[in-house]
Amino acid sequence: MPILEVKDLRARYSARGPEILKGISFDVEAEDFFAIIGPSGAGKSTLIRCINRLVEPVSGEIRLYGAEVTKMAAPELRRLRRNIGMIFQEFNLVNRMSVMDNVLSGRLGYVGNLRSIFRMFSRSDIARALELLDRVGLSDQVDKRADELSGGQRQRVGIARALMQDPKLLLLDEPTSSLDPKISREVMALVREIADEYKVPVLCNIHDVQLAMEFCNKIIGLQDGIKMFDGPTENMDRGKLDEIYAMEVL
Amino acid sequence: MARRRRRRAIRLAAILGLAALVLWSIEATIVADTDWQRIGSPAAILKSVSRFLTIDFGLIPQLLVPTLETFMMACLGTLLGLFISLPVAWFGALNATPFKPVTYPLARFLMTLSRSIHEIVWALIFVAAVGLGALPGILAIAMRSVGFISKIIAEAIEDVDPKPVEAIRAVGGNSFQVMIFAIVPQVLPVALGTIIFEWDINIRRSAIMGLVGAGGLGLAFFRQMAMYNYGGVTTVILAILCLIVLGELASTAARKALI
Repeated sequence: MPILEVKDLRARYSARGPEILKGISFDVEAEDFFAIIGPSGAGKSTLIRCINRLVEPVSGEIRLYGAEVTKMAAPELRRLRRNIGMIFQEFNLVNRMSVMDNVLSGRLGYVGNLRSIFRMFSRSDIARALELLDRVGLSDQVDKRADELSGGQRQRVGIARALMQDPKLLLLDEPTSSLDPKISREVMALVREIADEYKVPVLCNIHDVQLAMEFCNKIIGLQDGIKMFDGPTENMDRGKLDEIYAMEVL
Repeated sequence: MARRRRRRAIRLAAILGLAALVLWSIEATIVADTDWQRIGSPAAILKSVSRFLTIDFGLIPQLLVPTLETFMMACLGTLLGLFISLPVAWFGALNATPFKPVTYPLARFLMTLSRSIHEIVWALIFVAAVGLGALPGILAIAMRSVGFISKIIAEAIEDVDPKPVEAIRAVGGNSFQVMIFAIVPQVLPVALGTIIFEWDINIRRSAIMGLVGAGGLGLAFFRQMAMYNYGGVTTVILAILCLIVLGELASTAARKALI
């Protein structure tokens, strides 16, 4: 039973604008670490953002554990989003807040308004945050302001924040594009380790094909909003890559 | 060549025209309207001014309470102004306003209204509404401060980095939590700096408001003037000056500490 089912997903940013996604369908199983690759403008970011409705799809179906995402009203959508962890290209941390507060903000979907104002997170939340920060190797940075950290460190805070949600699915939007090659590899390795350990499926938008082939077990190739490839990494070859990236202007 | 000469001619004509206008304005508003008899000779003017050049030392102990009152008026007025500013700033930010066609223009109107009405006029309105004393002064200061504070905060909200906002939404936060966790931390430094700045200005406003009955040093000034105690007037002015300078120093130190 796939964790995530996407059927004929279509999306556009404005009513008269071009269609960005032209009917994408795929399934994600529990053990999958899916890479979404393709040239710029293929719709990779849009696809990722449709899953948790940061971008509203125009039509199609998205089912997470059988629940239909596209038709959810606001309160249900909140509950859905707290089950989906997201990691961003530019980390999307609150720069003036401490590392600890940034990680704790991962629990906001579970915390009421009043407690939010006074940052009253439960003791177990705080313990879990410390545990996760230790897991990603940032125990000694807990009270530092987020903008005092390096890029790789900030991304690890982002990972810890996503894990605070106890997510059933992880969405990664170009998690390594702002990082240098060595750190990129470390971050991908960390995510892979954690995904295997917590048994969470991952959907990762990535433009570094080498990293995709190294860490992901399945690949979706997008070109111009259309799925050109969907299968295990082993089946990907030079010929198919050239096809996917054929339209890319260098 | 001919073009340059023509431009110089036009410029000369403009300057002469402007000079003529200024001279005519001086004649019409100052020369014609002034009571030259009353002013008298330069010596007489100096004598009038010198009457202000004494300090009434006996008055000083009586000024301590009004000074405190003026100071407290500025503090409370700024605080009240801040509370009113927050919802106005929220409504006045294009990216955060709850119902753009109504709430946004409403907020912008309130900001303009607050800044177009001079603090003395606000004070007069409130003195008429609630009587004499410190309360109308506090209310007037609050209403006058709203315009600036809310405008700066609204603009800071509009300039906010959307990435943390996206992250908090992605985590399952509602609009309120987005405000608290993603927007407020980004806006806070600018907001605090603005509040301290406005507090500093409000000390001066607070002193003036006494002139129209709103208590504090302004009222002391009014009384000394009414008694023709020129030394007293100077003393009150000096007291106001001291208070403003102290406020200025405190405000600069506080804003430096923030950065």
